[in-house]
Amino acid sequence: MNATVFKLTLRQFAGQRRSLLLFGLALVPVALAVLFRLGEHADQHEETAHFLADVVITAILPLACLILGTSALGSEIEDGTAVYVLAKPVPRRDIIAAKFAASALIAAAFLVPATAVSGLIGLQGVSEEGIATGFTIAVLVGVFAYTAVFMLLSVATSRALLIGLAYVFIWEGLITELFSGTRYLSIRQYCLGIADLISTVSERDFEANLGGVEGLVLAGVVVATALVFAVRRLEAFELIGTD
Amino acid sequence: MTMASESQPAGSASPAVTIEAVNVSRWYGNIVAVNDVSFSLGPGITGLLGPNGAGKSTILHMAAGFLRPSKGTVRIADRPAWQNHEMYRSVGLVPERESVYPFLTGYEFVLLSAKLFGLSDPEEAAHRAIRAVHMEAAQNRRVGGYSKGMRQRIRIAAAIVHDPQILLLDEPFSGTDPALRLQMTDLLRRMAGEGRTIVFSSHILDEVERLAENVLVIVAGRLVASGDFHAIRRLMTDRPHTFTVHSSDNRGLAVALVADESVIGVELDDEHLTVRTSQFADFTHAAPRLAKTEGITLQALLPTDESLESVFSYLVKR
Repeated sequence: MNATVFKLTLRQFAGQRRSLLLFGLALVPVALAVLFRLGEHADQHEETAHFLADVVITAILPLACLILGTSALGSEIEDGTAVYVLAKPVPRRDIIAAKFAASALIAAAFLVPATAVSGLIGLQGVSEEGIATGFTIAVLVGVFAYTAVFMLLSVATSRALLIGLAYVFIWEGLITELFSGTRYLSIRQYCLGIADLISTVSERDFEANLGGVEGLVLAGVVVATALVFAVRRLEAFELIGTD
Repeated sequence: MTMASESQPAGSASPAVTIEAVNVSRWYGNIVAVNDVSFSLGPGITGLLGPNGAGKSTILHMAAGFLRPSKGTVRIADRPAWQNHEMYRSVGLVPERESVYPFLTGYEFVLLSAKLFGLSDPEEAAHRAIRAVHMEAAQNRRVGGYSKGMRQRIRIAAAIVHDPQILLLDEPFSGTDPALRLQMTDLLRRMAGEGRTIVFSSHILDEVERLAENVLVIVAGRLVASGDFHAIRRLMTDRPHTFTVHSSDNRGLAVALVADESVIGVELDDEHLTVRTSQFADFTHAAPRLAKTEGITLQALLPTDESLESVFSYLVKR
């Protein structure tokens, strides 16, 4: 990993409006958890688990990673500044590693505490039963997997944001819900499986469609595959001029 | 990264470093941007000249390793430019797009480059490069607030911070002020004088003529001429050249010249002669000889259409 590229990516993010957007996204589950706690609940474990699954894993996690993953290199490629990093004797794998590490670190810094806090707020007054812990770890794994995939998209296509949204809302939100076989190609399902593995609540309260170990292994495969392909794409990066 | 390759001291450029294109073509779908171009460049300043859309940037990007040739090879220092990030140790690139990291100061921008080049003393290298482009006064301001000319200077500083043996500049004079052009000209000439290979693209004929010792003329993706600008002009023997001649006896010289086979026509004005010839070299030898024979003092023999504009116009029509 190249430390200069890593620091540059952190500074890039700090100077962008995206940081405010990400901060706002991270606040959403916390604010919703507070509202959730104000109401009456028949089964706090079940409702908190489903709240974390439906709000954090389904929406906040992929959206935040989409913002970061596609902009880490994609915005530089789009505005032409990528040349200042690429026209250097730096192996492309080091650039991808640095961009990925910086993006994942930022996403994790926002999402992991937000998940833990919102989980603990939802479970206030009852035993934690591994729910907050399980979902927090699942979010951490999801950060790596989603960021790697969206970074690959940003290197591979100029329509990364659009394709990323389609993946999150059409593939994961619709198709994997309709066809169970597709769950192996859904990062959301990996995350839910991991959360289910760690939590100790009964199947009645929360049950994932995929095993936690499978989810963890598949997430690792996705990260490795996406990064390898991202390096290959960056090695074949072409600068299309105006002339 | 070895220590030896971390820092290239100024003046260490090797004359052996060249850019070589062999039968290079590049197409985008059905559009041919560059068609079967071959050239070899050594140390000195080479201007890549052509109208907009001629394929100059495409050639420069292939030389910079940012475009894969569809056919043929581009080699930098005897190694393929494509997918060869190690070549950037000896290559600096100033891209055409003016985008910069707006949140960095000028110094930080150049320092970033120095660090990415892996220099042993990036701070000193950054200061030296900033001095070379006369940006000391503004180096601590954010690049986002720079004028176009200042951005260009700092981009050049970032490209030369590692003292590259090859410097590629894509339309470097576009939108720059005369003072900057003059400073850039001095800088590039100094670098070329140290044995470095400088290649810049431009559609500004005046700049190419003033700066480049060597030109590659690209028209519609084809290399239509290459070499010394004046030599290219003289090779075009099938096109009339026009000279303005001043002498002690213009009428007498006109009579002598019109009989020479190298001369197509002569016009006599009050002040001078205007002579058209189809044989550049023969005429430049014949005119002084005839003047001497006739006992006439030849005061001036000036080619009137030696500008790059005339060369370029001719090549485009050819």
